[in-house]
Amino acid sequence: MTVAVAGVGTSHFGRQPDRDLVGLAWDAVSEAFADAGVDAVDAVWVGTVFAPAGVAQRVLRAMGITGIPVLTVENACASGTTAFVEAHEAVRTGRYGRVLALGLEQMSTAFAGAITPETTDPEGRAGLAMPAMYAMSAARYLHTGAATPEQLAAVSVKNHAHAVHNPRAQYSGRYTVDEVLASRMIADPLTLLQCCPTSDGAAAAVLTAADGAAGEVVVRGAALRSGAPWNHRSPHVWGHDIVADTTRDALADAGLDAVTDVDVVEVHDAFTIGEIVTTEALGLVPPGDGGKAAAGGVTALGGAHPVNPSGGLLSRGHPLGATGLAQLAEITWQLRGQCGARQVEGARLGLVETMGGGVSVLDGNACVVTVLEAR
Amino acid sequence: MSSPTGADPRPEIHRTADGDWVVAGRRCRACAEPVAYAWPRCPACGAEVEVAHFGPRGTVWSSTVVRIAVPGHTPPYALAYVDLDDGPRVLAHVAGDEPAPIGGAAWLIGASDDGDLQVEVAR
Repeated sequence: MTVAVAGVGTSHFGRQPDRDLVGLAWDAVSEAFADAGVDAVDAVWVGTVFAPAGVAQRVLRAMGITGIPVLTVENACASGTTAFVEAHEAVRTGRYGRVLALGLEQMSTAFAGAITPETTDPEGRAGLAMPAMYAMSAARYLHTGAATPEQLAAVSVKNHAHAVHNPRAQYSGRYTVDEVLASRMIADPLTLLQCCPTSDGAAAAVLTAADGAAGEVVVRGAALRSGAPWNHRSPHVWGHDIVADTTRDALADAGLDAVTDVDVVEVHDAFTIGEIVTTEALGLVPPGDGGKAAAGGVTALGGAHPVNPSGGLLSRGHPLGATGLAQLAEITWQLRGQCGARQVEGARLGLVETMGGGVSVLDGNACVVTVLEAR
Repeated sequence: MSSPTGADPRPEIHRTADGDWVVAGRRCRACAEPVAYAWPRCPACGAEVEVAHFGPRGTVWSSTVVRIAVPGHTPPYALAYVDLDDGPRVLAHVAGDEPAPIGGAAWLIGASDDGDLQVEVAR
């Protein structure tokens, strides 16, 4: 059975410590329900990382969604897309007819600053905050000559410029490479403008069986993996191989020969180096060309392979559990041609990649890659 | 975000009779994967493991300096991923507020007062 994305919605993304998850979730779900033209679902998958136990039922009962199967999933930054692929599988196999996937997170009340992996892991205990984890990859890229500081900064310049056309983005702006490099150093070589902000938000999608309507957005393929060990034998930086392997699975599921057939892509750019590594791991650009592609406009709107037209996590914000569903919402709007000044003209095939990590020794906790298509 | 209570997850280190610091970890009996931790099975293949010591020498794979406040740590502080010779990749603290030279030599010099693995590096 082919599964359609019948409706999507998001709350405002940003620092919203005075709001609660009930309100944020309602903003996302009510928009997705209105978009899909429905007022009920048969089951719900909720993705979140740090929300308190019971959060799914807590936010859903406030909008009258009770008495049906509700499942909560956690896969670090890929929690929202994990909820989506599980909801998709439930519809595809006929287990449920209409399913809601909801992602939510309130970061501003949980963290004073950067996220640190759990102190039950050696990395977290030793003070390797998430920006420092990505900084290790960035420093390695600079050392081997796979990227320059200016190319790292170009990702931030590009995504903040894309976000100028996205009213839902937390931050936007027309920065220069020099301004990005001159912003405060967080973890060498990553500066403040190369790091995603602290964000609160929710995002949702309603999945149903496709009805064959013209322009309908359907799920063409999907894949999920957890990471294998990342160690001294790994030829790549942290997180590369899990993205490459999951992408291969997703393209096979979608029946696509090459990722370059895709017209528009949303990737997990929690830090600038993340987008560079990911564009290489996806196969969108040749190995070692991720930085050059960003600096040369290849991955910008109007380029050969537009990446993160929404502004990405760097600009839209990164409420962990909500991020994957916000990425899917952006690609759905792109495939419907609803994105105004950030529209990728004629986009028919779109891809979403989310990679979450933090568990020591593993090449990421989870990666989800989804291919959507406008029929 | 959990507070540091319970068992310490960081690598256990020993001082040898020669005065060298080594990580007391495990090596896989099937695939020889070195692991810095006392885990019951090999994370790469699931086979049985045996006690093995790694270090003190290694090579810096990458390094950074954390310049933001992290609970339990005072910035700035330098961290390095060090590939111990014929051993696992371990995360260690480096004295000072400069990144360790990538590709350079590093050697274990014990644990800090806070229990963090520490290396000295060739500069």
